[in-house]
Amino acid sequence: MTRVQVLLSLAAIAMIVGLWFAFTAPVDAFQGEYSRIINVHVPSMWLAFLAFGVVAFGSIMWLIRKKPRWDRLAEASAEIGVLFSAIGLFTGMAWGEAVWGRAWDWGDARLATTAVMFFVYVGYLALRRATPDPEARARRSAILGTIAVIQVPLVYFSVNMFRTLHQTQTIRPDGAAMPDEMLVAMLINVAVFTFLYIALMVARIDVAKAEASAAQTQDLAGDAVKAPLLSEVEDV
Amino acid sequence: MSEQVFVIGVFAISYGAIFGYSVYLHLRRSRVKD
Repeated sequence: MTRVQVLLSLAAIAMIVGLWFAFTAPVDAFQGEYSRIINVHVPSMWLAFLAFGVVAFGSIMWLIRKKPRWDRLAEASAEIGVLFSAIGLFTGMAWGEAVWGRAWDWGDARLATTAVMFFVYVGYLALRRATPDPEARARRSAILGTIAVIQVPLVYFSVNMFRTLHQTQTIRPDGAAMPDEMLVAMLINVAVFTFLYIALMVARIDVAKAEASAAQTQDLAGDAVKAPLLSEVEDV
Repeated sequence: MSEQVFVIGVFAISYGAIFGYSVYLHLRRSRVKD
């Protein structure tokens, strides 16, 4: 088994443990079974924040050092961040439909800022795809990756700045706004998802490295085996 | 009962997306020779 396979297998086992905690924890008296969705919603949004923070770190490091590995780190983290923010949006909408009676409200600051953040990072991935030159791609995406991270604190604190539909932070400096058993289950799932992020990052960076190396080999081989044009051949 | 089915469905779609992404990475990696 490769290192990537070992990590992903361990992450799968950790996710089963996380699921067990999610489905055995007590439920909220008002929300009922729907309160279990918090065990996938909060960890997903936490991962999105973490991933976009890592994108900014990789981007700044690339701008300073200009090493491809920092670009690969930012690229991998952006892709995983987009995946988990999509899951966070989906689970939030499902929970909202069940508990609030509406899946979406553009007037809500948390929902609107999260949607904008999601689309900005989809744009980040699109920008990468649209730029074939590796140097230009790394530079453009590093600038966007550095600026776009401003949205992370904006999304996180939006619930305190604008009191709309979404509840305020669950974990605050003065304590958590939920019973201990529910909090433990949620924090275990946060830890599980963090480990999953590491495993997916290792797998994604491995793909990027292999593809970069294959592209380099192909370029060299391409030159070596390319048939000369008739006009380039003398004495025919 | 319908609450449980709804919640299980939400978990299944979320975890399915993560599993799908892992499979996508595996397939993309296996297309590239070392």
